[in-house]
Amino acid sequence: MKNFAVLQLSGCAGCEVSLLNADAWVDQYNLAYMPLVTSVHDVPEVDLLLVSGGVRTDEDLYKLRHAVQRAGEVVAVGTCAISGGVANLGDRDEVRELFIAQARRRHVPHLLPKSHPIDAFVEVDRYLPGCPPMSHLFMMVLTGETEKTLARTVCQDCGRKKLRDVRPEHLVGFQTGKVDPDICLINQGYLCIGSSTRGGCGAPCTRAGHPCVGCRGPSDAFIEKESAVWMKSIARVFKGMTDIPEEEIQTGLRSPQLALFLFQFSDYADDKATIRPKEKVL
Amino acid sequence: MTRLLFPLSRIEGHAQVAIEVQEGEVLSAQFQATELRGFEYLVQDAPADQMPVVTPRICGVCSTAHHVAAVKALEDAYEITPPPLALKIRELLMLGQLLQNQATSLFIFTMPDRLGVSSIFQLASDAVTTDKSERQLTEVATRALQVRQAGTHLISTAGGQFIHPVKAVVGGVTGGIPAQQAAEMRAELEAALPIACELFDYYWEISIAMGERLGTWGDDAPACYLSAIAGRQPNFYGNQMYVLSSSGDACSMFPARDFRKYLTYEATEYSYAGHTSFQGEVIRANSLARINVLHDMGTPAANRYLKRFTEAFGQPAHAILLFDLARGIELVYAIERAIEILSEPLDEGDPAVPHTPQDGEGFGLVEAPRGPLIHHYTIEDGKIAHAEFIIPTVHNMLAIERALRVAAERYIDAERVNMELERAVGRVVRAFDPCIACATH
Repeated sequence: MKNFAVLQLSGCAGCEVSLLNADAWVDQYNLAYMPLVTSVHDVPEVDLLLVSGGVRTDEDLYKLRHAVQRAGEVVAVGTCAISGGVANLGDRDEVRELFIAQARRRHVPHLLPKSHPIDAFVEVDRYLPGCPPMSHLFMMVLTGETEKTLARTVCQDCGRKKLRDVRPEHLVGFQTGKVDPDICLINQGYLCIGSSTRGGCGAPCTRAGHPCVGCRGPSDAFIEKESAVWMKSIARVFKGMTDIPEEEIQTGLRSPQLALFLFQFSDYADDKATIRPKEKVL
Repeated sequence: MTRLLFPLSRIEGHAQVAIEVQEGEVLSAQFQATELRGFEYLVQDAPADQMPVVTPRICGVCSTAHHVAAVKALEDAYEITPPPLALKIRELLMLGQLLQNQATSLFIFTMPDRLGVSSIFQLASDAVTTDKSERQLTEVATRALQVRQAGTHLISTAGGQFIHPVKAVVGGVTGGIPAQQAAEMRAELEAALPIACELFDYYWEISIAMGERLGTWGDDAPACYLSAIAGRQPNFYGNQMYVLSSSGDACSMFPARDFRKYLTYEATEYSYAGHTSFQGEVIRANSLARINVLHDMGTPAANRYLKRFTEAFGQPAHAILLFDLARGIELVYAIERAIEILSEPLDEGDPAVPHTPQDGEGFGLVEAPRGPLIHHYTIEDGKIAHAEFIIPTVHNMLAIERALRVAAERYIDAERVNMELERAVGRVVRAFDPCIACATH
C-alpha cells in the first residue's frame, strides 16, 4: 500500500480539509502522517509528501527541510505552498514593519522576515494549485494520474452563455448580489478572470454566481510566462466582450486582494517571477 | 524546575502545551499557539467588499463562519437588511458548517482517544489493532466521513463550494437553491441522520467507558458560558452575545458592538493567541456553552439527546469531556434543522437587496461551531482602515489552561510524572476543539 504524509506549514488547513473529502483514498493509501488527523509527531519515510502552507516561521523551514529528506516525491499543495499565498499580503512594505514588530514573542517559533513558497528552499516534483485544490484533484495526485483530462481554463469548466450583444460599460462591484444564473459573468460586468485561469476545478465559484478570482493560477498558456502576459490576456478578453475602459479593468485587477490570487504564480511580493514548468503543474 | 513540552495533534492548527513543574508541584500550564499570519495587518487597505472572499482564508475549517461574518459586518456598516430568502440560505450555510465541524471533532479528532488509536485512518501501524478491530475502525471511518460529507455538501449547496464559499454577498446571496438540488440535498441528509445518531450513540457509550476507566471527566469547576444564540432555541446565524454567569443564575446580554465593555483581551508572551476573560472570570465558549443555556433544540431527535444529557449531567454541566457529548447533540440538530429548511421553497423571492456601499464601522456576529465570532471593520474610502477578528478559541484560552492545570496536578506528584499525562493533555485540548489558525489569524 502506498504511503503518504501531509506536512502542514503556515496555512489555513483548507487543503487538508479538502483532502479529507476525497474519501476514496481511505482504504487504498496509508496516511502515515498528518497532524490534523493523526497523532504521529514525526514524518516517517513515505512515497509521497504533500506540503501545504507557506514557510512563515523558522519552525516551518526546519520541518520542511527535515521532511523532504524522507520523501520519495514532494508535491506543493495549494496557493500558500506554491506562492506564499494570502500571507504574501503581509509582505507589503507598509504593513510588514508594523506586523513584525507586533508579532515578536519570546517562547514560540520566530517569524521569518517574509513568507516564502516552499520551492524557495527545496526541490518540488509536482504542483497542485488551488485555494484549496478540489478533492478530485487530490485523488489525481495520489493515483499519479499524469494524463491531463482536465479543462484548460475555468471558462471551459463554467458553461455560462457568452452573449455577443450584451456589452457592459462599467464593472459592477465585487458584491452586487443579483446575478443572472445562465449568462457569462463578464457579460454582466463582473471582473471574472476564468478565461485564463487554470481549469479542472469544475468552476464552482462562477457556477454559484461569483466571479473567478484565479485561485488555480494561470493556465498552461501563461504559466511559463511573466505575469504581464497573463494580465494583458485578461484585458484583451474584456476589450473583446465589453466597452469597459481599460484603466478600470487594470485598477480592478491590481487591487491588492484580487492581485493576491492573480499573481500567485509570479510571487506577487517579489520582483523576480519564479517560473514553474507546466509539466509539473496539475 | 522541569519544563514538559507536549506537541499537539488532531486539532486545527499548530500549538503545543508547556507545563512547568518543581518537586512535584505544578507551577504553570500554558497553551502555546505557534503560528501567525497577521490577517489584521494584511487586510489593511483592501477594498472592503472583498472581505467575504479574503477572510475565509483565515481558516479552511471555519471558512463558512468567516464568510458569513464578513458579509454581516459589511451590511452593518452599510445599514442594509438582507431579504428572508438570503437569511435562510445563510442559516443553511451555518448549519453545514456546524455539521461538518462537529462530525470532524467527534469522529476524527476525539474518537481515537476513546478507542486507544492514534487516528481513525491509521490501520496496520497501530499495535493494538487486530484484523477484526481494524475492519471495525475502517467501517467507523467510512461512516464518519459520510456524515461529515453531508455537511460539506450542504455548504456547497448553499455556498457554491465547501471550503471558502462564495454565495453570501453584501445584500443577500448570489442565488437561491433550485428545487431539484434542494431535494437531493435533503435526501442525503435524511440518509445521514440515522448514521449520525448511531455513531453518536456509539460515541456516547465509549465516552462513558472512558470516563469510568479514567475516574474523571476533567476540570468540572464552574465557568462563565459565552455564546451568540440568545433565545430558548438555537440560532447559529447569531444575534446577541449572551453570557451565563458561573453561578448559573445570572445572564448578561449585549450586542456585538459592545463586546469590549464585557470581554477583556490580553496578549501573552508565550503564544501568538492571547486570552479573554469576562469581568475577571474564566470563560467557556463552544458546544457546552450553548447546551448549558438551551431548553429546547427545536427538533425531535436532538431534543431526545438534550433530555438524556441534562438528566445524566445536569444543567449547567461543567466537566470538560461533556463538550464532546454536547457536540453530538448539535450534530443531530444541524441535520434535522437543515432538512426542515430544505423542505421550504428556496428559489422564490429576491435573493438580494440593492445597496450602496458607505464608509463607517461594522460588526458581524455569527455563532461559529467554536462559539461567537465577530468581524469588526472600519471602512474609509471604501477600503479597510482597521480590521479586528474576535475569535471564539481565544475566549476559551483561560479555560483550556485551567483544565490543563487540573490534569497536570492529577498526574504529577513528587515521585513521578504519570505517562497518562500526555494522553490527558490531548483529551483536555480536544474537548475545547480549539482552532489555532483562527485564534492567531
